[in-house]
Amino acid sequence: MGARGDGGVKKVVDRRRRYWNEPKLGLWERFYLFEVLRGLSITGGVFLRNMTRWMTGKKGALTAYYPEEVRSDYARHNRGKHVLTQRPDGRPQCIACNLCATVCPARVIEIEAGFDPDDPAHPKYPERFVIDYARCIFCGFCVEVCPEDAIRMVPTVPGLPVPDRRPGMWLGKEELLNWQPASDPAKPYPPKAKAVEPPPPGSRLVQGEER
Amino acid sequence: MPVMFINDQPVDTGEHRTVLQVALANGFYVPHFCWHPELSIVGNCRVCVVEQEGRGVGIACNMPVAEGLRIQTESEPVRAQRKAMLQFILLNHPVDCGICDKAGECTLQDYHYAYNGAPALSHEPKLHSTKFFPLSERIILDNERCILCSRCVRFTREISKSNVLGMEQRGDGMRVRPVEDRTLDDDPYSDNVIDLCPVGALLSRSFQYQARVWYLEPTASVCPGCARGCTVQLWHRRHEWRLKGLDGSHNERILRVTPLENPRVNGAWICNKGRDLGALFGRPRAGQALLKGRPVLLAEAIDAARRLVRGAGRRVALVSSWGSNEELRAFRNALADRFTSFVKADHRPGEGEVVEDDLLIRADKNPNTHAAQALFGNAPADIPDDTELVLVWGEGADFSTLPRGAKIVHLGAWLQPENGYADVFIPISIQTERHGHYTSFEGVVSAFEPCQRRPEGVIDAETLFPLLAAPPGSDT
Ligand code: SF4
Ligand code: SF4
Ligand code: SF4
Ligand code: SF4
Repeated sequence: MGARGDGGVKKVVDRRRRYWNEPKLGLWERFYLFEVLRGLSITGGVFLRNMTRWMTGKKGALTAYYPEEVRSDYARHNRGKHVLTQRPDGRPQCIACNLCATVCPARVIEIEAGFDPDDPAHPKYPERFVIDYARCIFCGFCVEVCPEDAIRMVPTVPGLPVPDRRPGMWLGKEELLNWQPASDPAKPYPPKAKAVEPPPPGSRLVQGEER
Repeated sequence: MPVMFINDQPVDTGEHRTVLQVALANGFYVPHFCWHPELSIVGNCRVCVVEQEGRGVGIACNMPVAEGLRIQTESEPVRAQRKAMLQFILLNHPVDCGICDKAGECTLQDYHYAYNGAPALSHEPKLHSTKFFPLSERIILDNERCILCSRCVRFTREISKSNVLGMEQRGDGMRVRPVEDRTLDDDPYSDNVIDLCPVGALLSRSFQYQARVWYLEPTASVCPGCARGCTVQLWHRRHEWRLKGLDGSHNERILRVTPLENPRVNGAWICNKGRDLGALFGRPRAGQALLKGRPVLLAEAIDAARRLVRGAGRRVALVSSWGSNEELRAFRNALADRFTSFVKADHRPGEGEVVEDDLLIRADKNPNTHAAQALFGNAPADIPDDTELVLVWGEGADFSTLPRGAKIVHLGAWLQPENGYADVFIPISIQTERHGHYTSFEGVVSAFEPCQRRPEGVIDAETLFPLLAAPPGSDT
């Protein structure tokens, strides 16, 4: 110690953090016992009041008994559940591009793609589309990245939890496809495209002319 | 040796004949679609333009090197030309990257971000064309995405020499098509055009929509399809992208196979048989040790085999030509003195398979016959009738031709009826579950790496042979 040249004097450094609103403790607070009793009487009072109200059938604390009770008053901007949007014929808008699955920071979206050669405008579609609500962090990145506006989030929450976490908290295409395109006038949906034949020699087949 | 200047730095041109080759060899990247090191020069994509100081821009792929040539690869006029060229290439391109299997390894995407980055200048509606033209049983062609670089056409003319593909019509209507009376099904190297295509126009049917390419990673391996031993890359799902909710068998599958460029063995190509390794290695595996068809513990089967190996009579081993160099050496060191060993051809040419040609395909359909014969000779199997024990390692042995009285110890990896017929059956691992080396017919040694998990109850042959040599009852 001495060799390091600090003269052998041990300095006690108080490393506790100082806060701007550090309480000033008077003699009464330092006595401890009365303050503890005061704290207990506050929590105990609230508990007993809620308990009496509950036993007499009046409205008590604001706790909802989830999942038996679902709150009706979710904020309008709450985003608790995904929906897959659909075209008017009921097929999902999703083209299984996997951008949402790629961007998802929790990596909870998994998509199995299918091939439909009869619809050259949408040859790739999601055969299966699953989201694991046990791990989703509701960041909304999937909604933001989707090039087809095929996935959105709504204020409600899915009917979870379930007794069996896996596969119980995976929601599939069936649960997610409950969005009604008729109620969304903002977006026009083109009809299913017809198969495009190779143009005969010398002709120009233009999308605009075809319609 | 001539010295030229690229971006004001002196570079040695070496053996190269064109500016593009010199630039790439010296670490100056010049974009290119139609140029390929193994194909002839056509210079039709025009994105490899560079500026020759004092003489304006020209295409680098066809610009001969000369002493003192001064080249700029990223100057203002060059970038402007490339941008204009990309606008032109994208005129009718559908840009449906979201559903394009090439996205992620598409050079058109890369060059667009590097040199263009702007939305289309043209207000004309895009022309549509055939989206899924069936070129063969294995390949579909998306004519909208084709940029007419003609790499695929030149491949069938210059490399596979099947002359199947050609271009028809001109201008907007120009398309790649099989020339009349030929089909790509007859070209045993056809799948190479999928890798060659710089965009997503040529698509593999077996890989279509299986996975986005950034979910996959390659493992270096050796194709066991013939004695050439082409080096390949086996693509399977990355660990961090393993599926947890959907079909888990997808995680274990080999989703596609591409060549691993190797000038000493296969150059940049492999044949279609190599592309189907996923199916070959995806066959049902044997995972249960058997004694005359009765399931037993692996240790019990090994003990039974040990007793047979120590028996008094004549013993013959049929050595697998699919064993790696390491396994063959382990067999020689541990067991060769107890057996008369013959090398067995595990696989023979299949129905309709190309037996041999002068590009890659060899008549011997086994990867390691060369190394096996170097250790155990190349005499044809001659099993006397009084043989007491036959050790059959690997596939391809016809049990009905073995002597009636002989006991059979069978080491196999696949679920086959013969497994139950053998006196002792021990399940062994396959190539994708272990490290190892194969020696090609030319004596080139290539390494393969594991990319699949070894199933429960299966043992590596390399570990097994020393165990079989130990006295019965010792530890396994
Ligand atoms: S909200 Fe976020 S965490 Fe949840 S699925 Fe979408 S991207 Fe993933
Ligand atoms: S980003 Fe949109 S279109 Fe793409 S897979 Fe996800 S939901 Fe489907
Ligand atoms: S070829 Fe390339 S640019 Fe064209 S759609 Fe496919 S990924 Fe996109
Ligand atoms: S199909 Fe691919 S390789 Fe063939 S010409 Fe078109 S872009 Fe080039």
